[in-house]
Amino acid sequence: MSALGDVGQLLLTANLWQAVLAAAVLLLLPALGGVISERSGVVNIAMEGMMLTGAFFAVVADLAWHNAWLATAVAIIAGGLIASIHAVVSIQFRADQIVSGIAINIFAAGLTVFLVNRIYGLQDIGHIGPTEGLPYIDIHGLDQIPFFGKVLFQQNVVVYLALILLVGIHILLFRTRLGLRIRAVGEHPQAADTAGINVFLIRYSAVISSGLLSGLAGAFLAIGVSNTFVPNMTDGRGYIALAAVIFGKWTPFGAFIACLIFGLGQAIYDNNSTIHISPYLLSMLPYILTLVILAGLVGRSTPPAHDGLPYVPGSE
Amino acid sequence: MPLGSVLFAFVVGALICLVTGANPVDAYSGLLCGGIGIACAQGENSALQISNTIVFLTPLITTGVAVALPFRAGLFNIGAEGQLIAGAIACTAIGVKFSGLPSPILLPMVLLGGMAAGALWAGIAGLLKATVGAHEVVTTIMLNYVAQWLLRYLIIGGPLQLREGTSTSLPIGHGARLPTLLPSDNSLIIFGLPASVYRVHTGLLIALAAAAIFAFLLWRTSFGYEIRAVGQSQKAARYAGISVRRTIILTMLIAGAFAGLAGAIQVAGVDHNLTDMYFSDTTGFDAIAVALLGLGSAVGIVVASLLFGALHAGGSIMQSDAGISSNLVLVLQALILFSIAANFVGAIRRGLPFGRASAELPPELPPAAGLMSEAAVPPPEPT
Repeated sequence: MSALGDVGQLLLTANLWQAVLAAAVLLLLPALGGVISERSGVVNIAMEGMMLTGAFFAVVADLAWHNAWLATAVAIIAGGLIASIHAVVSIQFRADQIVSGIAINIFAAGLTVFLVNRIYGLQDIGHIGPTEGLPYIDIHGLDQIPFFGKVLFQQNVVVYLALILLVGIHILLFRTRLGLRIRAVGEHPQAADTAGINVFLIRYSAVISSGLLSGLAGAFLAIGVSNTFVPNMTDGRGYIALAAVIFGKWTPFGAFIACLIFGLGQAIYDNNSTIHISPYLLSMLPYILTLVILAGLVGRSTPPAHDGLPYVPGSE
Repeated sequence: MPLGSVLFAFVVGALICLVTGANPVDAYSGLLCGGIGIACAQGENSALQISNTIVFLTPLITTGVAVALPFRAGLFNIGAEGQLIAGAIACTAIGVKFSGLPSPILLPMVLLGGMAAGALWAGIAGLLKATVGAHEVVTTIMLNYVAQWLLRYLIIGGPLQLREGTSTSLPIGHGARLPTLLPSDNSLIIFGLPASVYRVHTGLLIALAAAAIFAFLLWRTSFGYEIRAVGQSQKAARYAGISVRRTIILTMLIAGAFAGLAGAIQVAGVDHNLTDMYFSDTTGFDAIAVALLGLGSAVGIVVASLLFGALHAGGSIMQSDAGISSNLVLVLQALILFSIAANFVGAIRRGLPFGRASAELPPELPPAAGLMSEAAVPPPEPT
């Protein structure tokens, strides 16, 4: 099997693992959002749409102001805004959260392309300049470590930020009073309400946070990894992030491990030039991997008890 | 309520047009023209537009059924798209491989083959749900992507590719093609155009039959009763002696067969080969809106398919006539979904001083909500 041998060769290169971490972070950011949202009891399959919205507005803002930081801020806010639709519809109006999530994803896919055509006419959106993207930063000194230096310390600024967020959100959820409240609202909103916790406020904040994180991921995708916006450029990453949330048993680090596995599939696909196999067959890898993992593991993980159930004040 | 949701979506859609500097009157007259052949700005042929709408709505009916049936069992089939593609692939593969066979043999073969492939695709999700409790929303989404990439592989460099450098499959044999409803005769002029330009095909009749079978299965058979019982409460169904696992797997298999049939009909009736258009096909997602808007009834599904078929056919005319991206149709569709799911119309009514306070929360959706809480627990079987 020469294809297997090719993959084996690839696995020994630092370049591959550098790409794995970057690909994993693209999934980690929306997955962290998913963990927060679902821990508070709101099912979120809308990360795909939130991320796409972020990607679009990052490029629009970067093309307008030629400033990656400003563009990233715009993307984060856009992600938060579209998440607030999901929040209003599913928390305030108690809609089916899966339907609302699907609607967000369709809405984002349609609106972004619609707006490309409104703003730029029926042609390409254009590319951002080479110095106008989110920068890659080598951590001085540490980047000289053989192998690991390249993998861990020659990365995009968003990668470092995401790893900090990973630790931060873990601490937030499991070591702070706010985290306890978020989890209480997801497990037993009635009890939390009785204890004086504002269930709606917590759930709104959690869903909007998932939008902010997904928006950041969109910015990383559009003006970090890539340099333009393409219709549907998120290509299912939001959905894979959702699978990572479930595989990771609704914990930040569990989700991160899942993201690394999916990131490996993505990175092998991206570096397929040395592998003698159809790239289209390789593309199936992350998705089949998800299925296999779900088949083996999900039965042993339990979601928050009130995940997916709207809270009706005064109900039993 | 569904009509109000559609109205709500069009009002908000018009606002989005206004804000972005597009003329909503132009947009909606483009949709009307492309959808039902009226208010045409460029003198398009009305009959041709209606024919196109019917071509669009045909697969929507069958995939709508493929989403609506699992809904009744409390399952959310987001994978109708992947099942449709699986059906289209199987139909093409059989239609190419046995292209020499006569129609009475080959046509049933490609249609049944498509159904089998769709059933297999959905069956994987059903099996995973019933055995290890893997949530069908996630598994069907993954299976969608696997189907899309498999399709790309097959027609770009794979065994079904027409020739090097194309992203098209070999054409299926003439025996595998569904006849058009109108005679394909260029000398015959119907509504000012030669009869052969109308693509309306006999797949429409198959789709309508599928909707009827759906209603019969759900309301007139004991299996339909089991599906509804499982959808209402797995626990109660189990006490009633219904095998929840068996019901889940069978429901998904049947649903997948309907979606696979849609793919087979699309290839056998319209395209006659696989093209890269199937990469960006969204029928399986439109079907979710169709099933919700149609409130899960056969008649409702047909009516909702008509609406979405018209919207999609209208989108391309809107884009060419008014220069407004056909993606506005997706925005409208999402707005309809929001509106149905959240019952905005009921809320608006209650908020108006003269409104009737009759509409209630939560909206009357099929019992798919709350699935996540049961997701991770495989349904235990009584021993």
